[in-house]
Amino acid sequence: MKNFMMIFIGADYADLGLSQEEMQGRMEKWFAWGNKMEQAGVLKGGEALTPQIRRIVGQNRTVTDLSSAEVKEIVGGYYLVEAIDFDAVQEIAQDFPDYDLGGTVEIREIMVFDH
Amino acid sequence: MNSKNLDHLFRHHHGKMVSVLTRIFGLSNLEIIEDAVQDTFLKASINWRKKQPDNPEAWLTKAAKNRVLDIFRKIQAEKKHLPELKSGLESIAVNELFLDAEIEDAQLRMIFTACHPKLNPKDRISFALRTISGFSSKEIASALLTKEETIKKRLFRARKFIQESDLAFKIPQGQELPHRIESVLEVIYLIFNEGFHSNKKEVLIQKELCGEAMRLCKYLLKNKHTNIPASYALFALMCFHAARLDAKINTENELMDLKNQDRNKWSFPLIQMGNTMMNKAVENNEFSTYHYEAAIIAEHIKAPSFEQTNWKKILTWYECLHKLQPTASHLLIMGVVCLQSKNYIKANYYFEQLNPEDLEQRSYLFYSAKADYFVATNNKKEAIIQLNIALEKVTNRLEKEFLEKKKLTIN
Repeated sequence: MKNFMMIFIGADYADLGLSQEEMQGRMEKWFAWGNKMEQAGVLKGGEALTPQIRRIVGQNRTVTDLSSAEVKEIVGGYYLVEAIDFDAVQEIAQDFPDYDLGGTVEIREIMVFDH
Repeated sequence: MNSKNLDHLFRHHHGKMVSVLTRIFGLSNLEIIEDAVQDTFLKASINWRKKQPDNPEAWLTKAAKNRVLDIFRKIQAEKKHLPELKSGLESIAVNELFLDAEIEDAQLRMIFTACHPKLNPKDRISFALRTISGFSSKEIASALLTKEETIKKRLFRARKFIQESDLAFKIPQGQELPHRIESVLEVIYLIFNEGFHSNKKEVLIQKELCGEAMRLCKYLLKNKHTNIPASYALFALMCFHAARLDAKINTENELMDLKNQDRNKWSFPLIQMGNTMMNKAVENNEFSTYHYEAAIIAEHIKAPSFEQTNWKKILTWYECLHKLQPTASHLLIMGVVCLQSKNYIKANYYFEQLNPEDLEQRSYLFYSAKADYFVATNNKKEAIIQLNIALEKVTNRLEKEFLEKKKLTIN
C-alpha cells in the first residue's frame, strides 16, 4: 500500500455563480464521495482551501496578493488516500463531483524516504 | 446523509436569512445582504463536505447571525444609509429576530414587499422567486421560459424600485391589508400556474414551482392577519391541482386530458388537505375567485369517473366565477362543459361570445373545442378544418401530438 494525494484544481465555486440548489447538490455529492472512501477505509485526510492567495516569487521575494477571480485555475483542496497504485487512485477519483465544471484531479504519490 | 430532510434546504433558508437581515439593515442594503447570504452558503457547502452538522438549519441560522457584524462593517465602509440600529449589535434585540416566529414574520414582510402593487407584475414574480425562494436568475429563466438576461433586468428594475421608493419593510395594516393580500395571492397563483401549465418537458421544475407557491401560501395561513378565506381557498385550489400533477403525464409522456387521466394516480393526501382547507375557506360567506375555482376542481375530483362528472354543478360554479372575473378562457370552458352535457346550443352560445385572440397562445384550445363541437353535431369536415387551425396555433409538442391523435380519430 502507498499513500497518494488527490489535488483538486479548477475555478472557485464563488466565481462560478452557483445557485443555492446547485451548491447544495455539489455538497451532497462530495459528502457521498467522502463517505464512500471512508467506508472503503482508503481515506487518510484532506482539507478544503480558502480562495485567497499570497504568492512569494524569486530572489526578491516579490509578494502579490491574488483573489480567485484573477486566477482561472486554483487549487481548491486535496484528499490523502491509501491505495495500491496510480490506477487504483484513478478509480477512486472517478467520483470527483466537479468534472462538469471543468475541474481537474491531479494524482501524486507521497514520497517515502528510506530510514 | 439523510437528504430527505435537506430537500431544498439552502434554497428555503436563503429567503429566511435575507428576510431577517433585511429587517435589521433595511431594504436599501438588499444587495450587500444577498451577497453575505450567498457567501454563507458557499462556506457551508464546503464546510459540510466532510461532515454535516447535526442540525443544518440551526447551523445556517447561526451563521447568518454571525454575519450581522460583517454586514454592518461593510455598510459603514461603503458609507451607505444605515437604518436606526440599536447600539451594540450583539444586543438581545438582534438575537430575538432570529427566533422562529420572528423569522416567519420577516419572511411575510418580504413576501408583501415582493408583491407590492406598484411593482410591475412580471418583476414581482422574478423578485419573489429570487429573494424569498432562493432561485438563481438562471433557474428563474428556465422555470419561466424566459431569457436569463430578461430576468436579470427584471430583478434590477425591482430592486431599483424598492430602494428608490423607500418601501416600509412591514406587513400592511388596516384598510391597506385586503388589497395588498390580493396582490400577494395573485403572485402566488401565477407562480403556481407557471409550474402547472408549463410547456416544459421537465416535470421536475414544474413541481418545484408548484411546491414553492404552496410554501409561500403557507406563510399567509400561519399569520392571523393574512389567513383570510381567500388564502385558504387558494391553498385548497393548489392542493387539488397538485394532486393531479403526476397524472397529467402518462408513461408515454403524452398530455392526458381529464377524461383519460388515471384517477388512481391522483394524490389522496393532497386531496384531503385540500378538503380541510376548503372547509376553513367557507367559514364565512366571503367568496373569492379562488373559492369558485377550487369548487370546480373539487367537483372533478369527487366524480368517481369522468362520465360521472356533475357538469351542471360545474357550469354553475363557472357562471359565478365568470361574473366575478369575466375572461375569454371561462367562456371557452363553459362551452366545453356544455359539450360534455350534450347541450350543443348553449355550447355554441358561449363560443360565439368569445374572441380566440383573447386566449393568446392558448387559442388552439378554442379551435380544438370547436372541432369537438362539430364532431358532436356530425360535421366532420368542419371539425377537421378547426383542428388544422388548432395545429397551426399550437407550440407545445405534447399538445400537438394530442391534437394529431384527435384528428386521426375523426377520419
